Formats: sequence, C-alpha cells, structure tokens
Amino acid sequence: MIKELTHEQKQQFGVPSMEQFSYDNLIVKNFAIATMVWAVVGMLVGVIIAIQLYLPALNLNFQYITYGRIRPLHTNGVIFAFVGNAIFMGIYYSLQRVCKARMFSDLLSKIHFWGWQLIIVCAAVMLPAGLTTSKEYAELEWPVDILIALVWVIFAINMFGTIAKRREKHMYVAVWFYIATVVTVAVLHIVNSIELPVSFLKSYSVYAGVQDALVQWWYGHNAVAFFLTTPYLGMMYYFLPKAANRPVYSYKLSIIHFWALIFIYIWAGPHHLLYTALPDWAQSLGTVFSIMLIAPSWGGMINGLLTLRGAWDKVKEDPVLKFMVVAVTAYGMATFEGPMLSLKNVNAIAHYTDWIVSHVHVGALGWNGFLTFGMLYWLIPRLFNTSLYSKKLANLHFWIGTLGIIFYVTAMYWAGIAQSLMWKQFTAEGILQYPNFLTTTQEIIPMYVIRSIGGAMFLTGVIIMIYNLYKTAKLGSFMANEAAEAPAIFIEKKKGSGEKIHRFLEKKPMKFAILATIVVLIGGLIEIIPTFIIKSNVPTISSVHPYTPLELQGRDIYIREGCNTCHSQMIRPFRSETERYGEYSKAGEFVYDHPFLWGSKRTGPDLQREGNKYPNVWHYLHMQDPRSISPGSIMPAYPWLEKQDIDIAGTEAKINTLRKLGVPYPFGFENTANDSLQRQADKIAADLQKNGAAVESNKEIVALIAYLQRLGTDIQVTKSAVK
Amino acid sequence: MLKNKIKIPNKLIISLFTFTGIFTSNIYAQAKDNSLDTYGQVAGLLVLLGILIMFILILVLGDEKYKDTGIAPKKSAAFAKFKQRLTKAVPIEKESEIILEDDFDGIRELDNTVPPWFNYLFYGTIVFAVVYMLVFHVFNIKPLMLDEYIGELKAAEIQREELIKTGALINENTVTLLVDEASLANGKSAFTTNCVPCHGPAGEGTVGPNLTDDFWIHGGGIKNVFTTIKNGVPAKGMISWSSLLNPKKIQEVSSYVISIHGTNPPNGKAPEGEKYVSTDSTKTGIGKTDSLKTGTTKIDSSKTNKVKTEPVKTDTMKK
Repeated sequence: MIKELTHEQKQQFGVPSMEQFSYDNLIVKNFAIATMVWAVVGMLVGVIIAIQLYLPALNLNFQYITYGRIRPLHTNGVIFAFVGNAIFMGIYYSLQRVCKARMFSDLLSKIHFWGWQLIIVCAAVMLPAGLTTSKEYAELEWPVDILIALVWVIFAINMFGTIAKRREKHMYVAVWFYIATVVTVAVLHIVNSIELPVSFLKSYSVYAGVQDALVQWWYGHNAVAFFLTTPYLGMMYYFLPKAANRPVYSYKLSIIHFWALIFIYIWAGPHHLLYTALPDWAQSLGTVFSIMLIAPSWGGMINGLLTLRGAWDKVKEDPVLKFMVVAVTAYGMATFEGPMLSLKNVNAIAHYTDWIVSHVHVGALGWNGFLTFGMLYWLIPRLFNTSLYSKKLANLHFWIGTLGIIFYVTAMYWAGIAQSLMWKQFTAEGILQYPNFLTTTQEIIPMYVIRSIGGAMFLTGVIIMIYNLYKTAKLGSFMANEAAEAPAIFIEKKKGSGEKIHRFLEKKPMKFAILATIVVLIGGLIEIIPTFIIKSNVPTISSVHPYTPLELQGRDIYIREGCNTCHSQMIRPFRSETERYGEYSKAGEFVYDHPFLWGSKRTGPDLQREGNKYPNVWHYLHMQDPRSISPGSIMPAYPWLEKQDIDIAGTEAKINTLRKLGVPYPFGFENTANDSLQRQADKIAADLQKNGAAVESNKEIVALIAYLQRLGTDIQVTKSAVK
Repeated sequence: MLKNKIKIPNKLIISLFTFTGIFTSNIYAQAKDNSLDTYGQVAGLLVLLGILIMFILILVLGDEKYKDTGIAPKKSAAFAKFKQRLTKAVPIEKESEIILEDDFDGIRELDNTVPPWFNYLFYGTIVFAVVYMLVFHVFNIKPLMLDEYIGELKAAEIQREELIKTGALINENTVTLLVDEASLANGKSAFTTNCVPCHGPAGEGTVGPNLTDDFWIHGGGIKNVFTTIKNGVPAKGMISWSSLLNPKKIQEVSSYVISIHGTNPPNGKAPEGEKYVSTDSTKTGIGKTDSLKTGTTKIDSSKTNKVKTEPVKTDTMKK
C-alpha cells in the first residue's frame, strides 16, 4: 500500500521513477544458520583430533573416528562448511545491497544452498569412511567433485545475474573480490580435481609425483587465497565501513592491492614444496612471489584499519568492531608470516612442523573466524529487526575467543620450533642428538595439551555466540523480504571521454571477470606447463618400477587411512634428514605415484625410505599396537587391518586405470594381477607366521606391509647394481 | 576521560600480540642445547614481526581520536608529522573534499592517495625478488639446494676426520670392552630404550635373537657386537644404529650385551647362529656395510666369550 503511494507521489513530482524491489533475507538467514551449525561441528572435530594427539586411544579402536580419517573432516568442515557458508551468507547479503538488486534467481539461491549442504553431508559421511583422494583440502572423491563444480556454477550464474541487473553504475570493490573468487575457485577446483575414476567412489589423480604435487599446492595455496582471503576481503569492504559508519580510506589503494593480490598470489604455491624434489626454478618463483605478496596483502589490512580513523572510540563500545579489528590484524600478521615462512632458511625450520599449523590457525581462527563472528553479530539483529540480546555475552565471546587463539597459537609455535630444532641437532661427535623421533614427540606433548585447551575455548566462545544470537532472533521478528527502492539506471556502452579506465571497467562485469581470469591464469600456466613438458624437470630413474598389485592395494589402504596426514614421504636434502631417514628423495622416484603422497606434516617420522628398515612382523605388531613396539608413541592402533580382507575384486580396474594414466603395466597383466598379488601376500603371511604373527594372507595388513616394505627401495636396487 | 577512551583498543590489540613476546622468551629457554645460529634466525624473525606489527598499529591507530575532538596532546606533534609523511592522508576534517560520488548502500569511498610507505614496501619486495632470482639462477652466487647439501656433508666429513684423528671417535678398530658399572648402567638404559622391542627386556630374544646364550649369528665379542649394532643387518630387520647412537653409546650397549651373557632369562629364544668363542683376531669380522652376512664367526672349541681387547689385523670379511 505504502509503496504504491510513494510511487504515485514521485510521478506527480516528476522525480525519476524509483523501482520497487526487495532483498532476499531468507537465503542470508539460511546460510547464517548453516554457518553456525557447521562451525560447531567442524571445530568440535578439531578439538577431538587435538586431544587424540596426546590420547591416541580416543579413537576407541574404531576406524571411522581415527585421526587420519577425521583430520580431513576437520579441515573440510571448517574451510568449506563453516567458512564456505559464511562466505555465501556475507555475499548474498552484501551483493544485493551494493548492487541495489534482489538476487538474480530465488530458485538458484535455493539450489545453491541445499546443494552446498549436500556436499558437506557427503563429505561428513565419506571422509570417515576412508573415501578420499588424499590431496589436502581436495580430499573428496570424483562424484562430489562434480557436484561441487555444478553448485559453484549455479552460484556464479546467480552472482553474475545479480550484477547484471544492478541499479548501481559501478561495481563496488567488494564485488571485484567476489568476482575474482568465483572465477578462480572454479579454475583451481577443476584443474586440481582431474582424476580418472576406478569405480564409483575411487579415482586416481591424472597427475603423478612432482607434477601432482605442484598442481596440488598451486591449488592448496590458492584455496587459501581465493576461498579464505579474497571473499573475506570483499566482505570486510562491506561490513567494516557499515559497522563503523565511516567511508573507505582509499579507493586508489583498493584498486592497486586488488589487482596486485590476485596476480601475485597464484604464483606462490611452490613455497609449500621448498627443498623437495620440485625443480629449483619453481621453488625460487614460489619464494619471490611470496615476498612480493606482503604489500598487496597488507593493502587490505591498511585500508580496513585506516577506514576506522575517527571511529576508534566505537571500537571500544561495539563488539562487532572489536571482532573485526582483531580479524584484520590477524590477517596482517598471517600475511606477513607467510612470506617469511617462504624464505628458504625459515622454511627449512618450519616445514613439516606445528609452526605451520599455528600459522594457519592465526588465519583461520583470527581472520576467518573473528570476521565471521563480527558479521554475524552485525547481521542477525538486522535480519530480525531488533538489537543484540546481550552485549556482555558478545564481549565474553570476544575475550574467550582471543584467549583461545593466544593459547593455541603460542603452544603450536613453541612445539613447532622446539621439535624442529631437536630434529636438526647434532652432537659434538657428529651424530643426531635425538635419533629417536619419539623423544622429540614426547617433548611437545604438553604443548599439544595447551593447544587443545585453546581450541576448546574458541569453540566455547562460538557456542556462547550461538546462544546469544538465538536469543536475539527470539526478540525480533524475521523479515524474509526487505523492501527497497532505487532508480533504474542506464549504463553507457562506450567509455566516456576523460573517464578513467578502471572506472569504466567497474561498469563492465564481464570484461572485469575476463580480465581477472587472465591475470590469475598467468602465474599458474608459467609454473605448471614447463614442469609438465620439459623432461629435465623430472629426471627418470631406470630402476623405478610400478607397484606390484599387492603394493598398490596397500597404497590405497595407506590413502584410505590417511597415513599421509602424519607421515611425509619426502626427505629433504639436509644432513639431519638423510642421517635420520636415508637418501634424500628424487623427482624420478615418484613417476608412478597417482596421487603423490609427500605429505605436509611430520607428526610421525618420514616414511620415504621405510622399505626394508624393519622386519614384516615389526610392522604387524606396530600396527596392532604401536605402543608395544614404540613406547610412548602417539600413533593410533589399527586392529581392523588384520580383520578386513583385501579388496581383490578391484585389482583389475585399478591396473587398467593406472595403465591409462601411463603406468607401464603390460597389457593382459590385469588378468593375472591377482595371482601375483596372492603369491606376494602368501610370502609375507608365511614370514609373519614364522615370526609368531598368525595372520591370513588375504588381510589388509599384509597389503599395507607390502607397500611399506617397498617404499623408497627402488633406488637401493640401483646402488647395489652399480656396485 | 579522553585517555581512558583511547586506552581500550590499544590494550586489546597489545594483548593479542603479547604472545609474540611469550614466544620469543620460550625460544631462549629452549636455547640451552641448540645452536644459537638457528635461534638467532628464528628469534630475529619474530622480533621483526613484532616490531613491524606494532609499527603498523601505531601508524594506523595513532591518535586520530584526539584529532577528532580537536584536542591534540603535546607529545604527538612530531609523531603526527612523521605519520603524515608516511601516509599522506587527508585529515578527517577535510575529508569531504575527497569523497567520491558513488554511494554503495551508504558506503562512501575517500580518494586518499596510496600511503607512500606502502609503495616503498612494494617496490622493495620487487627489488628483492629480482635480486633473489639473479643471485640463485643467473649469477649462481649462492648454492641451490643440492650444492647446499653437498657443502653440509663436506663440513661434517671434515669434522669427523678431525675427531678420528684426535681419538675422540671410537670405531670398530679401537673399541674396547667396558666393565665399569657406570658404563654398563648407561648401556643398559640405552638397551631398554632401543633394543627391547626386538630382543626382549632381558635380552632373551623375541623378533631378534637371544643375546644371552653362547651362540651368535654375526659373531660375539666386543668388536663384532659393536660392528653389528653399528652397521646393522638390514636384511634381517636389524637397523644400522650408527646414525642413531653415538659411538660411545654403541660401545656401552655392546658392553652391556656382552655382560648379560649366561644370565639365562626365562622364555629364552632358542639359540641361533654359531657358537662363539673368543680367541684371536682372525675371528673378528669387521664388516663393511654392504656385506649383509659379515661377521659370522666360526665355532671354536674354547668356552669363554668374554673378550677384552682383540687386536685387529685385517679387515676381514667372511661370506
């Protein structure tokens, strides 16, 4: 009624006609609820695995809740479920408003919402079941990968549709970041997830060894960039000035740091692979581009903090701003620390340790967590047309969360550096001071305890927030469609004379998106293509042969159990590592590894040269009860491996799939593969029985032992052959 | 009143960064038995991080609040000038002159210039990147990872030779049996940590052979036992301990193992290998790493296997 009146009046007075429309708040509310639900789930799993690190029995000998399987559940839960839903919540709220338009399609919004929740539920079922590709933050198997791609395309259509029908000439800086996010995540996800299915729930990466590692960390690093950073910067540009009621400090700075950030970020992936078998030139590119990232990253922090000029008195009063200020400073810290960790000498200390875990959590808890909380405290009262139920509780949340971060991060810094230095320490006689890996583990157990307390505090804060926001919602009444009005606009097709190029670009979403895609692609292409086509980058080793069928089955069990979450298979060329583990790893050793299993964290020792190190029965007893063989070990027991049968029905498909990917199994081998498997298994089982371990040859433990005994032995053959 | 107002945000931020301080002190606490070189690097980095963050915070937070209210504290005049030079920000009161026309849902943008220090930082990192690539890949001034590794090995080799020369390093040629209690106690504790999983708590043998009987697969006597422990028997699952135990430790463990001979513990594993009797030097197999079955000694007729010192004549290898 009121709307029509206004409309008529306007016409009467000759004011340019205002278009009436409404914002879709329902979709925002749904994503907000999902954010909170998945926050609790993801963080709870995090606390559980943190405790499992000092109480390995906490897996209750139950395979579905064992560390190796639910650690990916934690990372996926927090990144894609908690942060993912928060991104969609923030984008669906802010995009409509800075475009002065309702979302392009309510149906697409709905499909996007439910599709994303379906993906998360799939992950929550599949990861504990051991269905994983093993590639970090891309663990989900191929059917879910396709689902992710489809839902992402729907999101992209919905977003670009909304931008196209906007009632605002220019796209606001937040929208630039959203566009970069949508196009880049699509590219990253698709390229990294190219895999050949073996069966409905199993696939092998098309890339092998070094190349797989490069693609994976190009993806992994840029998932941080374009899933955890750019959308959050976009949301910061909306919610921070809104909450502070201040203008954005510098438009020019926005332009410079946006383009520099998306161009440079993509190159930095190889810094995850310093001192590995990746070619030196690629490693160096990773280092220098990481250093050049400092300023573009800080551009966002500076613009955010300087926007608060003249509003610092509000920061004292307003929990929303408090959360945001800590978020932005945590962002600044993490983006300075990251480049420092990319320097060779720092990386030599920090890689494989808890320092990296700490670094990640400054970003995840501080930047993503606190900015999300700030947004929620700001949004929910507005969605429900009321004010926050309790400021006191919000302040409590702020302090318990901040303390939680400090506990977590400090403990992990200490643990990482202490352990790394112990790994590297030589005695005066020139041998390792702490040759037993477990000594170094035991040293940092107290830090693991403190870390879990920090994590639990952070989670407590989240629960307090949910209670507070629930009460807030009860106070108000939800408005699913928020009425708005804006004049229709006409956007000139051509660039006006004297109009700045960027101003023009801000009117052209498609041109903008294409340009952003090109800028993003350059770095990836320059690093990835030469690694694939120039042979000298991966020198072959003639004694390296494909895995036997039994070893292959064992390798798939290794992947299923997530052994690579705690054990690396990449010995760096340092004397401290070659003394401890054996010859350093060479690119040519991994040419048949689909996927690569280098790992990124050494909670336990490296396994690259594990083959022939211990007798079969040692492995048997160790898997049955690690502490019987290695007192004080924090590895969980794997009793189910001696009960479950090897999946020999799948052998043929596995051999065929790998042959298609270039592994030189002779044609017809797939038919006799199981005979070969049986022979090898019988031999191992006989050896185990001889040594007092009564185990049948068709059990999974036999395959896993076969794989472990093969690890890293190919080049030992060469050596003795040469002699 | 005013002071009180400005305090809170700073306090809050500072407390967030307190951990940098805690962290640094932890490193020094740990530094006792580690090389200061690495500590220097890490600590330096952290201090740098702390200083930089503080700098940024001071810079951005500064004392805008005072400006806002028009009451500038005396001390900050020079600082404000310095800050002005670094950011070239248009003061808040003149903000309306640089506000852009667009209004995005109530959000306006200022046309402040990019802070000069941001540009310096950016250019600085670009220069760093170019120099870095030149140093490592064009002029090859600094070693890439494998050369770095070779250098590390060479340095260790030199150090080792020095130790051997001065007699500080025990090897299979110079090892002697220790019988003093302290050494045997050390040997026992090393045995408990490292050997028990395969040889049993009393050396009675589980996965590995019984160490208390008269029979030895790779030869008894201090030199053989030392060699077996040092080089291992990889084919049978006995790893080489040379990188895990220092020579002194191996000597102690070897001595301890020899000391438990004849203790006849319960559940002793059946004898394996050949009966060993210490006699003369020819029986001591001084193994090379690649001869897996080295050190097997032939049976001799005499009984004792307590060996004190066995002069080694040759580098015997038996197959």
